[in-house]
Amino acid sequence: MIFIAIVVGCILGAIIGIYAPMVPYTYSGYLAIAIIAALDSVFGGIASTLNKQFDLKIFVSGFFGNAILSMLLTYLGQKLNVDIYLAAIVVFVGRMFNNLAIIRRYYLEKWTNRKEKLKTEKTEQ
Amino acid sequence: MKKKQIAITLGVMCFILTMSIAIQIRTVTSSNSTASQSLINNGLRDEVLRWKERYDNAYQELLESEKQLTQIREKATQNNTTANAKQEQIKENNMLLGTVEVKGGGLEIMLADNNAAATNLIDPSMVLVHYDDLLQVVNALNNAGAEAISINGQRVITTTAITCEGNVIKVNGEKISSPFTIKAIGSQGLLLGAMTMAGGYLDNLESWGVIVNVKTVDDITIEKYNGIISYKYVKNK
Repeated sequence: MIFIAIVVGCILGAIIGIYAPMVPYTYSGYLAIAIIAALDSVFGGIASTLNKQFDLKIFVSGFFGNAILSMLLTYLGQKLNVDIYLAAIVVFVGRMFNNLAIIRRYYLEKWTNRKEKLKTEKTEQ
Repeated sequence: MKKKQIAITLGVMCFILTMSIAIQIRTVTSSNSTASQSLINNGLRDEVLRWKERYDNAYQELLESEKQLTQIREKATQNNTTANAKQEQIKENNMLLGTVEVKGGGLEIMLADNNAAATNLIDPSMVLVHYDDLLQVVNALNNAGAEAISINGQRVITTTAITCEGNVIKVNGEKISSPFTIKAIGSQGLLLGAMTMAGGYLDNLESWGVIVNVKTVDDITIEKYNGIISYKYVKNK
């Protein structure tokens, strides 16, 4: 159910994104950092759904809040001549790997559990 | 019910995410990033070199056909006095235009940046040769009756421009740099006197610290103008 929704959302987004107007090149840096933040939020959301800790309010506020905050930090960094967006990227990508590890472990465990179940059923027979 | 809600929000989020990713990818590919800009630069440089090579080849061909033309002309006018006179006229005109090599007695002026002094000065501009120095020298030579002038092999003709292009000086659109050898054909006494007189421009240059070397040479060869003289807007009346 969740995965069907994700796939449908991705396909629709890609189709509309291809026909959407382009962003001016000066602002594409901000969009890039917002994308990284949103990607982090989505992986966090998937990981928390698997852990059954999913909270809609936290997820939505994190999705938009992180994106906006990272864009603001990038803007501030540009004004101060410091590449603050690098820090944001490090944090978000680090968290992304963490969440991916959680997702990976969940499915690996499920898989091994199923295999063991099949084995025990076979031996019982 | 709760699962449905989660699915819808995640779907919407993914929708926003993929849309912005698609927009971003299109923006980046359509604009020139720094990496592709250097690629474009390299491409342009290659193209310039290729065109230069093609120009050189075409120029060689032109030189050869010009040689053939003069040969044919000479052959055709061998036994014809009026044609011969015309032939002489063509030769003279070419000499005046600067499209043939000329020889004669004259002056050779060497101007060079004084690099040894430049390292010790806060503002080395004084001891360097600038484009206006060359202009002044050429002007003084013309004033003293020079009949043919060249700077580092670039013949000074009616359309010659001497311009400043940052670190280099361009004469006839070709880059030249220090040391500059200015050759002039004319009355040796007049030229030498005009160039080396006290308070003259070369005298000033020398007092500023530029390396100046003037000598008379009895047999100077001045290169021909190696470009094409073409008029587009001037018409015969």
